[in-house]
Amino acid sequence: MTKPTIRDVPLAPPPGNLSTTLAWGVLFIVLAWSWKGADMRPLDLLKDSGNMGTFARDFFPPDFREWRIYLEEMIITVHIAVWGTALSIICAVPFGLMSAENLVPSWVYQPVRRMMDACRAINEMVFAMLFIVAVGLGPFAGVLALWIHTTGVLAKLFAEAVEAIDPRPVEGIRATGANALEEILYGVIPQVLPLWISYTLYRFESNVRSASVLGIVGAGGIGVILHEVIRGFEYAQTAAVLLIIIVSVTLIDLVSARIRQLVI
Amino acid sequence: MTTAIVVDHLNKTFPCCKALDDVSLSIDGGEMVALIGASGSGKSTLLRHLSGFIAADSGTVTVLGRQMQDKGRLAPNIRRLRAEIGFVFQQFNLVNRLSVMTNVLVGLLYRTSLVRSLLMRFSIHEKQQALEALAAVGIQQFAWQRAATLSGGQQQRAALARCIVQQARIVLADEPIASLDPESARNVMELLAQMNRERGCTVVVSLHQVEFAIKYCPRTIALHRGQVVYDGPSSALTPQLLGELYGSDVEELFDMLLDSPALKMPATAHSLQRVAV
Repeated sequence: MTKPTIRDVPLAPPPGNLSTTLAWGVLFIVLAWSWKGADMRPLDLLKDSGNMGTFARDFFPPDFREWRIYLEEMIITVHIAVWGTALSIICAVPFGLMSAENLVPSWVYQPVRRMMDACRAINEMVFAMLFIVAVGLGPFAGVLALWIHTTGVLAKLFAEAVEAIDPRPVEGIRATGANALEEILYGVIPQVLPLWISYTLYRFESNVRSASVLGIVGAGGIGVILHEVIRGFEYAQTAAVLLIIIVSVTLIDLVSARIRQLVI
Repeated sequence: MTTAIVVDHLNKTFPCCKALDDVSLSIDGGEMVALIGASGSGKSTLLRHLSGFIAADSGTVTVLGRQMQDKGRLAPNIRRLRAEIGFVFQQFNLVNRLSVMTNVLVGLLYRTSLVRSLLMRFSIHEKQQALEALAAVGIQQFAWQRAATLSGGQQQRAALARCIVQQARIVLADEPIASLDPESARNVMELLAQMNRERGCTVVVSLHQVEFAIKYCPRTIALHRGQVVYDGPSSALTPQLLGELYGSDVEELFDMLLDSPALKMPATAHSLQRVAV
């Protein structure tokens, strides 16, 4: 076998194989299959554009007369997100470590993962409705809802970070006679910490977004007001509430993006 | 002189191949032994058995008079035994994001109480010990830098400092200089020899390059396809002997010999060439 000369090597990569074509085909079939069920009526967007224009005009100018209340409730929304995230970090660390397959045997990580799947599978809104029955209307139900759902999400993300670590430093720790907990604390955690912080900040942002709608089912925060003004056809006030949510969420996104940059 | 390491009829088969084939050897306390062989000859596997990272299929390993593993079962007090053994890795195996100081203090974990070690609290006295160890390997100025910021040679020296604070009586070094430039390689070998001389550590170091074995280790154990093919004074390791031991595989070791400044023996190199070709 001789090495091919530079002339023998084509400049274009080898043509795409069958599986790529097949993948595209499957994608289009799935899209077509979902069309009817999703009640896709793109033409209606054009047909009813006049109505929508009228509807949109009702939002302007936004009515900020009650801004103090909106702001207060927005801050409560952030408070819900803070506590929901904080509690879930505390739970996600042990559960995340217990669902990493490079740390624990399968009889530990399989059940823990299934439990985390269950926490994640059910939306915060559903948990909120359930907790309202248990602890009554108000922000606490929202905190509990975010706590359960975010624990499921963060535990999975934490575990994935742990599964991607470099095992060699951990072996270095093990070589000194350290026990399993020390191996994790000195060998694993330092490696995953930046990612964990990044994931946590990201979840905090999304929890602020989630918390702003939790009020719709009665779990406190700005969502309660949002629900009231929409139900009362007060679109100018709705616009004001939406603007406050947008500004707050954007601010939090910007700040946490900065913090993420610092830790990584 | 007490016996530091006894390996008795050790066997290990991996899915691919037989890694250790009836290996038996005995190393006295205070010896400095080189473990040579081409890649895949079983050097790393043997060292990893000695520190109980892997369990053998059969055979026993006894370290400092205590059984490390027997017939494929690791001793229940394996951590206590590991604490007596310093392990130096080819890739240094430091925790990159921790300071050099913390990486060295890890060597004390076995002796600190669990509560303090989980709180990551170390006493002034312990930090002083770590700093002295860092000074002994000449990198005390980097104590509070992250390990990742150090060069390869410096990282390997930090790993040696970890063995020092561990007060290891045995140091197992698995290709400690294979990822280093020649200058750092010499430096690390000098430090290992110094630990052997001044601290009385028993050192077993696996090497790719025969010239380092000859220069630093009085005794060499040569492995070939999982078997001990030579165990004796390093001075007797002539290129001819190596050629006999390794046959056509000698090339890997032989390249190093030819380039070696330690072995300025042109005549020998020629004769080796004949064996190899």
